[in-house]
Amino acid sequence: MTAVAPLFTDPYRARFTAFMAERREPDAFARLRHAALDRFEELGLPTRQQEAWRLTDLSALQAMVWQPAGHAPVDAGTLPTLEMPAHRLTFINGRFAPGLSSLCESPGKALIASLSQALLAHSGGIEPYLDRLPGLEAHPFAALNTAFWEDGAFIHLPRGTVLEEPIHLIFHASGDSVSIHPRLLLVLEEGAQASVVVEYGGAGRYLHAPMTEIEVSADATLHYHQIQQEAPSAFHLGSVRIRQGRASQANLHLMAFGGQLARTDLEALLDGEGAHCTLNGLTLGRDSQFGANHVRVEHAHPHGTSEQVFKNVLDGKARAVFDGMIHVRPHAQKTDARQLNRNLLLSRQAQAQANPRLEILADDVKCGHGSSTGFLDPDAEFYLRARGIPAAQARALLVHAFANDSLNRIRLTPLRERLARLLADRLALDFIEGDQA
Amino acid sequence: MLEIRNLHVTVEGREILKGIDLSIQPGETHAIMGPNGSGKSTLANVIAGRAGYTVTEGEIRFDGKNLLEMDPETRACEGLFLAFQYPVEIPGVANLYFLKAAVNAVRNYRGESLVDAMDFWELVHERMNLVKMDESMLKRSVNEGFSGGEKKRNEVFQMAVLQPRFAVLDETDSGLDIDALKVVADGVNALRSPERGFLVITHYQRLLDYIVPDHVHVLVNGRIAHSGGKELAVELEEQGYALYNEEPGRARRAVA
Repeated sequence: MTAVAPLFTDPYRARFTAFMAERREPDAFARLRHAALDRFEELGLPTRQQEAWRLTDLSALQAMVWQPAGHAPVDAGTLPTLEMPAHRLTFINGRFAPGLSSLCESPGKALIASLSQALLAHSGGIEPYLDRLPGLEAHPFAALNTAFWEDGAFIHLPRGTVLEEPIHLIFHASGDSVSIHPRLLLVLEEGAQASVVVEYGGAGRYLHAPMTEIEVSADATLHYHQIQQEAPSAFHLGSVRIRQGRASQANLHLMAFGGQLARTDLEALLDGEGAHCTLNGLTLGRDSQFGANHVRVEHAHPHGTSEQVFKNVLDGKARAVFDGMIHVRPHAQKTDARQLNRNLLLSRQAQAQANPRLEILADDVKCGHGSSTGFLDPDAEFYLRARGIPAAQARALLVHAFANDSLNRIRLTPLRERLARLLADRLALDFIEGDQA
Repeated sequence: MLEIRNLHVTVEGREILKGIDLSIQPGETHAIMGPNGSGKSTLANVIAGRAGYTVTEGEIRFDGKNLLEMDPETRACEGLFLAFQYPVEIPGVANLYFLKAAVNAVRNYRGESLVDAMDFWELVHERMNLVKMDESMLKRSVNEGFSGGEKKRNEVFQMAVLQPRFAVLDETDSGLDIDALKVVADGVNALRSPERGFLVITHYQRLLDYIVPDHVHVLVNGRIAHSGGKELAVELEEQGYALYNEEPGRARRAVA
């Protein structure tokens, strides 16, 4: 497999040697990196002969020679804000930018820090989790991230810690032919509660290949929002893996609006009785954008519940893929797992592909999945027009109605309103969000 | 205000309307009655501008303007309203927001400023009472989960808010019990005025007991077979449409 894509892997080996010469970190972590690079070389870059990558065309990405990203100036005014008090960490080209970061006064016992820095001061808190959570073992970009992450965020909430303000993590990339591999580690101990907003964006033809690892221990609650607004010619290949303990709750929102090619692979392991996981995905595609979500929800214990709703709105020649697997292990009785994929096509050239899958090895479960793809309802469009609403506005209204219930699941009001404005801008809708309430 | 001359319409190549002539003046209410398949709804849809209907001959003028050249939204902005036989459910679009968008679209067309929020709210409240609509229906998505009666009331409510100059009611009575029918009819009657015209399309005479028309036309097989006053509706109720189907001679006479 090593020879699959020498253009891509060979520079990486040389780059790795140079990279490691600069790193100062405990041996245990250096060993992880070495093992990960070996794994990456063994896996090779994905090819379309592999089932998981059959629908993702990486040829544009493979045709480029990727360089490590250097420092880049950034106009702080262009970075997204939450418009509410938040613990904010900013990373420019994968590097922590202390000047653009600030914590609210009272993070309490919570640790919200640069992962690189935390590795030196709190390696004992990181070691049990970093690259140890299950899932995505065969994902080359996850391995590549472990080998090459330069920095990222480490969030640790000790038992019972309830964080009032959300954590806002901004990953901004800048440059052409640069690849950036940010790493996020979120650990919520028993009963902890947090809301996290992760934003990806930038300028140029870069590759953002982040990896997020999340541990939600028993009775803990996490609201995780991933807002992907990459530059129009950028690539985004993200990996998320999450392990949930008994009676924990994870509400994951995957909002994807940008990028030339953007894909997120996510694996959730419900590793305790009564764990609850919701996945709320919304992808907007236009021109020749490609967006994909590959999701696996693994029910390992009884009484777990999971609900996935993935919506795609596709205009122009945009393409979207939803590949979702619900896997229920024999022991996981009384599982209730739902999965829904809905695609709205705004043009004849747009394309949506759905691959919903169920693998149920327990006999007393409720599982359901569904997928639908369609154009705007011409009767609804005519109804609006017959009341005087111009055709373009009528269409925009209907698209908004389709997408808006994904946004309405987001509880952080300023974030939800910002995304609603963004959606309205995309649809050239001239109305005030408050009107819909 | 509405002049239909020799209107021929085909749907998927099949001729449905075979030469309709109809002239409606401001202040008049005309009823079109006819059996199923006679072309009643086709006439309503062609007036409103729904796609899928081909006008092969004839014309429709609205205050002298060529209606058939206008988009559906332009027709609405010119003051035309269709109360749908089957109002469409639009999940995710709140009724109130939809109405405001419609009111503003019409105002924008006329070169007027956007509606003042307070004025709009007052208008909506006043008109809501007209059709005995519950305020909660404003916040719900357009027609979503509405009962048959609620949908028809919502149509008349929209008409009351938009205040068109000419309205077509396409089988607004279908699926209504007698109480709902009275509410809807009261709503329509409250809007009748010397400036406003109505075309009421119905299968049954029942509605016309409550919305009393000035003229009644019988549409059979794509042609107006007979026209008369309001007493014609009662006659039809007693004799049925069979008369027209079985006596082509009479139909021809009526057209002539």
